[in-house]
Amino acid sequence: MTDIVVKTVEELKDAPAEYREAVSKLVISHAINELYGAQVFDEPAIAYAPTPYAKWLTCRVAMEEYGHHVRFKQLGTQMGIPEERMIPGTGKKPLSIFEFPLKTWEEFVAIKLLADLAEILQVEDLLHCTFHPLRNLARATMPEERFHAQFGEDFSAELVKTADGKARLQAAVDEYYPYLPSFFGGSKSRNNEIFRKWKIKQRTNDEMRQDFVVRATEVATKYGLTLPEIRQAA
Amino acid sequence: MTIFLGALRAEVRAASWFAALGEPLTEGDRSDAAAYGAALGFDPVEIGLARDWPDAERLLKAPDWTPDWWDREEALRKKLLAQAEARYPERALWSQLTDLTTETGDLVHGKAATAAARMGNAAAASIHVAAGAASQAVYQLALARLAGQSASPFESKFRLYAAGRWPLGILGSRLVLF
Repeated sequence: MTDIVVKTVEELKDAPAEYREAVSKLVISHAINELYGAQVFDEPAIAYAPTPYAKWLTCRVAMEEYGHHVRFKQLGTQMGIPEERMIPGTGKKPLSIFEFPLKTWEEFVAIKLLADLAEILQVEDLLHCTFHPLRNLARATMPEERFHAQFGEDFSAELVKTADGKARLQAAVDEYYPYLPSFFGGSKSRNNEIFRKWKIKQRTNDEMRQDFVVRATEVATKYGLTLPEIRQAA
Repeated sequence: MTIFLGALRAEVRAASWFAALGEPLTEGDRSDAAAYGAALGFDPVEIGLARDWPDAERLLKAPDWTPDWWDREEALRKKLLAQAEARYPERALWSQLTDLTTETGDLVHGKAATAAARMGNAAAASIHVAAGAASQAVYQLALARLAGQSASPFESKFRLYAAGRWPLGILGSRLVLF
């Protein structure tokens, strides 16, 4: 472990190159994935929402996800990262889950229930980050991420009230859940090793993945849902 | 071509977001609501009033709402977006709209929370719903302005928000204001 604390973007200039590169990778990754999520899932979900209440709630969730992208992009810009590196389709390969366009309201509810839980774990791991601007950004986005996961729980509770709704939600869980564990990266990730070396992140990808599986199982069980077999990360 | 939304930003900051929820309707409210309904093809339309947050929540969750109203707004939004995209570079347009809605979202979320605390009995999620509705109205108006359409229904819709109202939409046979 290497002890370093970087309190401002200005101080980052004096940090070791490996530290600067690691922090940049994380900011780029978050900026891109927040935008992908908003574009691929949240914004299209507005059309599928069943009532004006659900539609406007989804509007707000979409805007908050776009807002997260904006905040990470603003931090990246302050750090000197070119804007085009923080926009999807300009280099970094998207996560596999983003390759499956949303088709139903139940799929969106399943994604909020489980994919946003995965996002919470990623943000939680940054709450003690040694790069304080990133730590502070994680703290700012956390309440909104928790609300999005609660959104998933609230609408899951509604859907499982009927046998048909529960079956449709279960089908959506079966379709999307297998892609989520790979969200946490490979077991022998060199990037993760560097993140932990500098205490930018706290846990290994496997530790986070295992925690996710436990928490996802708990939340699914709460609504009478089951999780399918998962694909192992590379 | 430069994208200028400064005037709209100033209008957003000056608006009386959610300040008149549940208050008796004024002639100005009725006039803007009638103009909004007529511009969407609902003419004439009966104007209704939601009394409090639970009433608004019940109306917004009721299954007998009129999807036509939402669909007409969506069709217009897509048309305006296409017109705006023809006038401005895509990324610059997209960045401006994202920044505007992010900035607006934070502002109106706080205003909705203040109104909910003042009136009481609002579900926590309803504050997000109100903020989503208001941010959407600003986004729609921005598109209309960028497309050069000064007579869109989104002008009168925004005026209702600016006057402290929340237009809940066509619910049943009425355009309901909160």
